[in-house]
Amino acid sequence: MNLIPLSYYIVTALILYILGMYCLAVKRNMIKLIIGIEILTSAANLNFIALATYGNPGGADPLGHTFVIMSIVVGACVVAVALTIAVHAYRHYKTLDVRELKRLRW
Amino acid sequence: MKMILSLPIDLLILFAILAPIVYLLGVKMRTRKIVDIWAVVGFLVSAIALYLLYNEVAAEGIITHYWAGQQLRGIAILQIDMLSIFMAAIFLLIGLLTAIYSTKYMERDTGHAEYYTLLLLMVAGMIGVAFAGDFFTFFLFWEIMCITSYVLVAFRKEKWESIEAGFKYLIISSAGSATVLFAMSILYGMAGTLNFAYLSSTISNTPTPWSILALAMIVLGLGVKAAIVPFHTWLPDAHPAAPSSISAMLSGVVIKTGVYGLIRIMILIFAPAEYQWQLLLAIFAIITMTVGNVMALLQNDIKRLLAFSSIGHIGYIIFGLSIASVYGLTGGIFHIMNHAIGKALLFLCAGAFLFAVESRNLDDLAGIGKKMKITGLTFIIGSLALAGIPPLNAFQSEFMIILAGIQQGVTSGIWYGLSAIMVLNILFSVGYYLRIIQIIMLREPTDLAKKAKEAPAPMLFSMIILAILCIVIGIYPGPFADFANQAAEAALNLDNYVRAIVG
Repeated sequence: MNLIPLSYYIVTALILYILGMYCLAVKRNMIKLIIGIEILTSAANLNFIALATYGNPGGADPLGHTFVIMSIVVGACVVAVALTIAVHAYRHYKTLDVRELKRLRW
Repeated sequence: MKMILSLPIDLLILFAILAPIVYLLGVKMRTRKIVDIWAVVGFLVSAIALYLLYNEVAAEGIITHYWAGQQLRGIAILQIDMLSIFMAAIFLLIGLLTAIYSTKYMERDTGHAEYYTLLLLMVAGMIGVAFAGDFFTFFLFWEIMCITSYVLVAFRKEKWESIEAGFKYLIISSAGSATVLFAMSILYGMAGTLNFAYLSSTISNTPTPWSILALAMIVLGLGVKAAIVPFHTWLPDAHPAAPSSISAMLSGVVIKTGVYGLIRIMILIFAPAEYQWQLLLAIFAIITMTVGNVMALLQNDIKRLLAFSSIGHIGYIIFGLSIASVYGLTGGIFHIMNHAIGKALLFLCAGAFLFAVESRNLDDLAGIGKKMKITGLTFIIGSLALAGIPPLNAFQSEFMIILAGIQQGVTSGIWYGLSAIMVLNILFSVGYYLRIIQIIMLREPTDLAKKAKEAPAPMLFSMIILAILCIVIGIYPGPFADFANQAAEAALNLDNYVRAIVG
């Protein structure tokens, strides 16, 4: 059986990481910033899964998968908190544009 | 009783989970204060458990404990040495005093059940980070600490400042966490495990491009939490926006968790002899302290000034770490304790002023020390201590760091220059500490300050304890410096740490 080479996954993960950072640097909508955080976490998760599978010929390593499941749970908590803050910000400013939240000098 | 994690963490989590129930009981019994007392008791009980653990560690050296039950390649393990105990003791001390302070300070806020649950969980998370023996545990507790601190920064959700600062903090800090996670995945791919000891025996010998990438990502990710310049931009917003008791926690101990992570990971996994990160980290440290001190001088908001001064002190600590000798690390670790005590004291004093006059602007606070004599006195002690005036506490540790830097000058002349810059920074920082003392204590009271009343007893209690600690550690540093020295030696004694797992 021919598997896709490991390097493809790692390159994809690195591209995802850079995309996430780009998203955080450029986007101005609060929800899009939160999506950027999710992309960053996904990059690391993808890397974990790929390495867990390729490091062990004949089966995936449960450790990497355990870690990814935990990381997904934690990511969900972070996003929940972030969305709560975004909702409160929307109630105050009636917008999700972080440029309007400029009293603290972003 | 079989413990799940380690007894101090277990107790904190137990108290945190029960806090809302206790609050509800308190509402039924018409005594709302009960949850405040519950939290204080939780910290006290946990402190006793930590003392028992300290005795065990002092006898055995290193304690390892598989908390998930299975011994799968050193995963889900707690590995507790003197450095962990040292950090946990500081976390619990500041946590306890903050909880006592909050019983009065948070009186005007609602949501006490949430507040104390989050506070207890945050300290549990920090202690867990200090006890972690592998990246799995480290990451879990790290995120517990991060998520609770996001919520606590944005705790006063009706204020615009808390929301903005909370959101900014969340985005920057979780980007840092994701970066650390990516670095963990690289290390996992290289070694097939996430245990610190195994990683230490495989990664530390041979620098490869991948391990250097992982090192860079870890410095970036933990540097965000530790507020190393240029990753510090969230700190001067987040720390002032939080309630003052939480500011004391954040500035006093939460950023130290990032420093702890740097100390542990960089010395254990990326051995300084092979990776040669000392000079690079020292330059980061110098930039950090300079930016922090210069920006602090320009601030007109007392809590913002203190937040910038925290960045400056992080610079000193990182400089101590970057020397990577026993003496330098002792100085750095000792300074972690001294700065935690001093900065927590100053933030609690700022909170007391805020409690009295509802303003953080230095112009409004002018002369308030004349009306609030005890708070003013502790404020002077804290400022002088952090300014590095002998015989107060920070002088001792700053002196050790500079001395270690000069000793390092034997290897390369550049360390003399770096140590000289640190001395200049300390002298420079005296400027703004004297400025706030002059404004708070010596100016004529403004109309607002004239109405100020002395802070209530629980708040005074916390501040006085911290002020006494400042003086005691300054005059009689022996046992404290000795404790820090044991912690530094434990951190540098890789053989012991690795042998406890690898065998």
